[in-house]
Amino acid sequence: MAQRMSKAQQQYQRKLKDAVHLLFFTHHKLPGVRGWELRKELGSDWQNVLEVLDKQLQPLDLQVTQVLDDPDIIDPTNAQLQDARYYITMRGTVTQKTAKTIGWRIDDIAGLAVSVAYIISKQGKSPRQDVERVLEEKLPGWRVKLNIDRYINQGYLGEDEQGILFLDWRSRAEINSKKLVDLVVSYGKREQESA
Amino acid sequence: MSELESVIGLCRMVQSGKIEPFDIDFDYVMSVIQKHYPDIKNPRDFCMDAEALKELSLVLERQNQWIEHKSTTLYKDPFMLSQSLMALDIGAIADIFLRSWHPLVEMEQMSAATLAASLSYWGDLVPFAERWQDSEVEERETGIATRDEARQLGYLPEEGFTDIIEAFWRELGERVGPGGSIEYWDWIGADTYEQTVYRAYLTVFMVGYGYANATWNRMMDEYTIIHKETPEPNPEEAKISLSVLVDYEEWKLWRNE
Repeated sequence: MAQRMSKAQQQYQRKLKDAVHLLFFTHHKLPGVRGWELRKELGSDWQNVLEVLDKQLQPLDLQVTQVLDDPDIIDPTNAQLQDARYYITMRGTVTQKTAKTIGWRIDDIAGLAVSVAYIISKQGKSPRQDVERVLEEKLPGWRVKLNIDRYINQGYLGEDEQGILFLDWRSRAEINSKKLVDLVVSYGKREQESA
Repeated sequence: MSELESVIGLCRMVQSGKIEPFDIDFDYVMSVIQKHYPDIKNPRDFCMDAEALKELSLVLERQNQWIEHKSTTLYKDPFMLSQSLMALDIGAIADIFLRSWHPLVEMEQMSAATLAASLSYWGDLVPFAERWQDSEVEERETGIATRDEARQLGYLPEEGFTDIIEAFWRELGERVGPGGSIEYWDWIGADTYEQTVYRAYLTVFMVGYGYANATWNRMMDEYTIIHKETPEPNPEEAKISLSVLVDYEEWKLWRNE
């Protein structure tokens, strides 16, 4: 029995390692792994393996993030979980200093924040000209177009053939939209009160 | 442009996010469609009427989504949100964003193991010049071999396939006792990988032909082979289909245990 237990534990450890390899290393054009891929590699208890991995990543300030195809789903079905994408993201947040060291200018971060918040306020879709107009209030015109192209290339924003911008996979994986919107509004209220 | 075309264009502006869903007056648009309905004379007019109705129904769908969105905790008045954004300086906006941003972590590094495997592959790779050489074909005299000679050369097994399977079943019985069971890897595992593959191959037929059973333990992620005291061999009709599970890495792990 003791041997069986240790064998089961060894097997679980191996599954954890497999999950780490799948989630950390880029296997496709886009990062992240679909639920069905994890199920195929880790077996039927793949969700438990992810839960254990998430706990083990906690001290390293990392987490397993699940992104559903439809962000409005609250209680996903098994099939929806298998279609979801899974990523490793930072559990905490980064400071401005750290953001600079990983190649982000403060203007670029602010531009992305405004674009994302504006698109959220428009129910997730907005014409590119509208977003450009909002950004031009604070950023030089020549930078605005460049920045939006950069956000699109990085996967934060998507643009359809009619020039409509929407939040793409990276925004859904990395940005806590609710927190962002709440912070913008509460900050605005505080500013108004102090004025 | 006709009145109906203008209505279609207006509805499409909602889909593209250029105007808000509730900027469209449903009753007015419906009255325009109704007004034009009696004048339909040809299929083109019918198509236009259907198109207008379809676009209007999509507006209703967007209105519904808008109400749903407004009822979620994510909803904040767009005007208030944009005013708040405008009131903030760039540093404050960046700071807010960083508090809700959890960047992705991914690795594109090559591991030492991958490099070693790649180097070994490179070493074994036959140069192009050799690969593209015409194969030299040698003319050989054909001959005839008897069945015994073919057996001696190893092209045919010494005994019949059923005899091999039955001997294998007897070996299983001796190891686990009549009706006993054994874990899959403990049964197929042998000193060499080739022997292990051979045993796994025979196990497939032993189970398939009714000499043994196999059960799958989901928790342990492994098969168990169960000896059948009374076999029901019927090679014509395999009862159970078992895949040949002989992963080289797994064999190495099993050997080291």
